[in-house]
Order: sequence, then C-alpha cells, then structure tokens
Amino acid sequence: MNLLALVKIEWLKIKKYPAFWWMFGIVGLTYPGTNLMFYYGYSEGTKGKEVASSVAKMLLGNPFAFPETWHTVAFLSSVFVMIPAILVIMLVTNEYNFKTHRQNIIDGWSRGQFVTSKLFDVLIISLVSTVLYALVAFGFGAWADYNNIGRWAEQLEYIPLFLLQTFAQLSIAFLLGFLIKKAFIALGIFFFYNLILENIAVGYAKFKLNDIGKFLPFEISDRIIPSPAFMSRFGKDMKAAYEKALDDIPMHIALTLLLTAAIWAFCYWKHKRRDL
Amino acid sequence: MQEVLNINGISKSYGPIKALQNVSFTVPQGSVFGLLGPNGSGKTTLLSIILDILKADTGSFAWFGHPGSPATRKQIGSLLETPNFYHYLSATDNLKITQAISGRGDNASIDEALKIVKLYERKNSKFSTYSLGMKQRLAIGAALMGNPNVLLFDEPTNGLDPVGIAEIRELIRELAKQGKTIIMASHLLDEVEKVCTHVAIMKRGHLLTAGPVDEVLANEDIVELGSPDLIALEKILQQYPGVTQIKATDHPSLQVFFPMGTARMEAINKHCFEQGVVLNQLTLKKKSLETKFFELTND
Repeated sequence: MNLLALVKIEWLKIKKYPAFWWMFGIVGLTYPGTNLMFYYGYSEGTKGKEVASSVAKMLLGNPFAFPETWHTVAFLSSVFVMIPAILVIMLVTNEYNFKTHRQNIIDGWSRGQFVTSKLFDVLIISLVSTVLYALVAFGFGAWADYNNIGRWAEQLEYIPLFLLQTFAQLSIAFLLGFLIKKAFIALGIFFFYNLILENIAVGYAKFKLNDIGKFLPFEISDRIIPSPAFMSRFGKDMKAAYEKALDDIPMHIALTLLLTAAIWAFCYWKHKRRDL
Repeated sequence: MQEVLNINGISKSYGPIKALQNVSFTVPQGSVFGLLGPNGSGKTTLLSIILDILKADTGSFAWFGHPGSPATRKQIGSLLETPNFYHYLSATDNLKITQAISGRGDNASIDEALKIVKLYERKNSKFSTYSLGMKQRLAIGAALMGNPNVLLFDEPTNGLDPVGIAEIRELIRELAKQGKTIIMASHLLDEVEKVCTHVAIMKRGHLLTAGPVDEVLANEDIVELGSPDLIALEKILQQYPGVTQIKATDHPSLQVFFPMGTARMEAINKHCFEQGVVLNQLTLKKKSLETKFFELTND
C-alpha cells in the first residue's frame, strides 16, 4: 500500500470527526486573536505623541511589519500548540477506545503502516497549523505596515521552523497518547508537563544548573523560534542573549530532528512488538 | 484436502498465566471449523495471534501455506471479539475504511454487505446510535465484504436476538455451501454442532481434541437399548464382550458403551434374545457435542 493510500484512509477517518473541525476553528481564531491582542497593545503603546510612546516605538520597531511578522507571529502562535495537541491525542486514543487499532491490522494493515498513518495525521495537523500561522503572519505584515510589503520574502525561514516546532511538539503529544492510551490521562500529563513542570524546570535550570533545561523535550524545539527581535533592544544583556539564542538555533534544529526521529523510531519499534 | 490454516505449537503466556500451551491443528479448505472451549480457554487469544493482534511466545502459523502477513489477512473476513468501528462514522463510512484497508470489494459491495446483514436502511446512521445486535451485524457485514473465501468469526451471535442467531446460522450454512472456509469460535455448542464440519476443543490453553465433528464425537460406540425388563437386560449385558460401561437413562432405557467401531447391532440383539430378553429399542447413538464437551472439559 502506498503512502497516498494511507493518507486517504486517514482522511476518511478525520474528515467527519467533529473534533478536527473544532480544532481547525479554534486554531483559526486563536492565532489571529492572540496576535491581534499583542498588536493592539503595541499600537496603544506607540500611537501617542509623548516621549514615552516615541521611545517605545523606537525600541520595539514594528514587530508585526514585514519581515519581523514571520518571527513575531510564529513565537506568539507557538504557545498554542496545546490546541492541535488535544486533537493528536484524541486521534490516537480514539483508536484504542474504539479498538480500531486492532481492526485496522485485522483488515490488512501492517503494524508499521498503522504508525505511519498516525505520523501522517500529526504531519497533516502540523501543516494545517503552519498554513494558518503563515496566513496570519502574512495578514499582519500587510496590515501593520503596508510600506514594508516589499520585504515579505525575508525571514521566510520561520515558516519551516514553525512547522518543525509544531511537528516535534505534536509528536511528543502523540507519544503520550500512544503509550498511555487513555485520552484524559494523556492530556492531563501533556498540559501539566508542557505548561507547568517543564517551564519551572527550565527556569530553575537557567539560574542554577547552567541552563541544562534547554535539553528538555519541549524546550529543545521551543528554542528554534526565539523571542521576537524587539526583545534584544532592552539593553546589552538582552541583546547578547538574543544573539546567542539566534546562534543556538541550528543546534536546536538538530536536537529537535534527533528527538523527533527517536520518538517515531521508538513508536515503530514498540508497536511492532507489543500485543495490541 | 488443502489446508487454509496450519497452527503449529503455539504458546502464549501473560506473566504466570499460560493462556496457550503448544496448540497445533489444521483447518482444511472448505470446512466450517468450530473452536470450542469454556471462558478463558484461550480461543480468542489463539484467534488474536493468527490475526497478528497478539504475539505468540513460541510456535508458528501459516495461512494458505504462507506465514501470516498483511497480504494474507486481507484475504480473510474477520470478526474478532467485539465490533470495532469508529463511533462517529456511519456504517457506510466505516465500511469504506474496511474496504480501503483490505482492498476487498468496491463501493457496490458495501451496500451489498449491508443488505445481507439487514442494515441497509440504517446505512447512514452513526455507529454510536446502533444497538448491540446491529453493531454485531455490521461487524459480520464488514467480514463478508468483497466475498472473501475465508471467514473468521469469534462469537458471531453475541448480542443477537433469537431471530438474529437463526439468521446468522443460516448465513453460515449458505456460505459453507458456497465452499467458503469458516473458522468460528463459540461457546454455543448447539450452534456449532448444527453448522460445523470440524471442531477443536480447548481448555485452559490446552487443545483437548481436534478433527472432523464425527470423529471427535465418535471415539466410542453408544448403543441405546430398551426392554420391558431393564434389570434383566442390564444383567445379561454385563457379561457381553467389549462392554466398557452401562448407564441407565431417564427414558427408561440403557446406554451401553463399546470401544469405537466394535458394537455389532445384530450380535447384541441375538445375544439378548438368546438370553431370554426381548428388546423394544436398539439404536446406535451419536454422542452430542454438548456431552462430549462436558466430558472433556469437566475436571
């Protein structure tokens, strides 16, 4: 069975799954909504004629104008990876819940094909999220400062970086659903770890453990999209930190690729051997 | 006769529990093969192994002479344990997935299968709205799709009402007539006896016996005799050569057991007559599957 056939079968499963369209809708609202909130804050802070506003404008530039929009919107949108993560976890735990992970094999898939089909689910959801991000980023770029539209093709590398980051983090969500099998437990662990535990660990490690937290599962890929460029304009230390973050991107890309490949290799290995 | 399935020395444990111990048998082509055993005897575990849902610890199996693979599974319409479908999809959409994965049949065969299992009118309803019996029928429909030559049913009449059970029994007979090989696990002995040509009986992971139904049931001859004087009859039969056991029935009559193939009806009749006992009943009886089953599986 070729890969296209696998994708078509996954599409048969997804296209009438209400949660998929809910996720699509919520992401479609969350990405522009969050960025709009920040943009509104930026506009309010810089529109006055007083000195403070002028200073703010000088410091921040316009983070939503081309080409900065690709970076800013990627950073702000990436916080909401938990929305597609819910869908990813639901899609894999549904298979256990309905026992269709068995039926697919009984009907003639290999165990490897089952994992590949799920890999495509994660890829499709990552692509959909990336397309939404790219549309929102382009929209802000054109709207925030139309004079800069000629620079739309700069910093386009944030599109593949956003895709990689989303795919990597959704792969972790998949791994949790794949191993835990129960949606609510997997979601609970995902949220608790992603939103609370790892952030505390990274923060603690930054000051006490020589920043070893950068090797934690989500942080590895979080750092392929550093904080927006305007953060570098708040003093010498911030500038140095920003430049280091930029320098570290290639290493974090490599680590992200390595971790993601390891996750999927483990899933293939495990699924081929375990009782279903 | 060609073999559809060859199971060779399969064992499987769950920790300390030995679910299957060195199980071997073959399923001939065109047979209706009943797999019997009390709950927990290992039937579903065995079927799960030959469908690659579970991994055997040791042993092997071959479908159509080849080791089990996705390609061999595609040729088998299977219902294992429970109906497994996407709850949010309709019957048609679920069967589209079955069809796409198995490659069996086409869009027309989806409607055909739904008509056979009498779900055509509800084909657009979501699976989650189906009753237990309807879910079971959909699973049977999915197995039938594309008219495969081998069918594997694990408790096919689970959840069905008496009419549904009779319909499935009739369907299995019809499929057998078409020359299909049907492997069926069940604990409804009556159901199996009515449709199966071959049977395997399991208990606590052991295979107790396997083979054609007639052979499995007839490992001894049972002669049922009646007479106005049963006491005298029993007395003269106790001396008769080859008798292994005599049992009184409720009819009233006597059941006399001989080693397989050794009961000669004319000689028995002559013996009784010569000893002055006139018979009013003399029949060579087949043991019911239920009797055999309890005999084998009771401790």
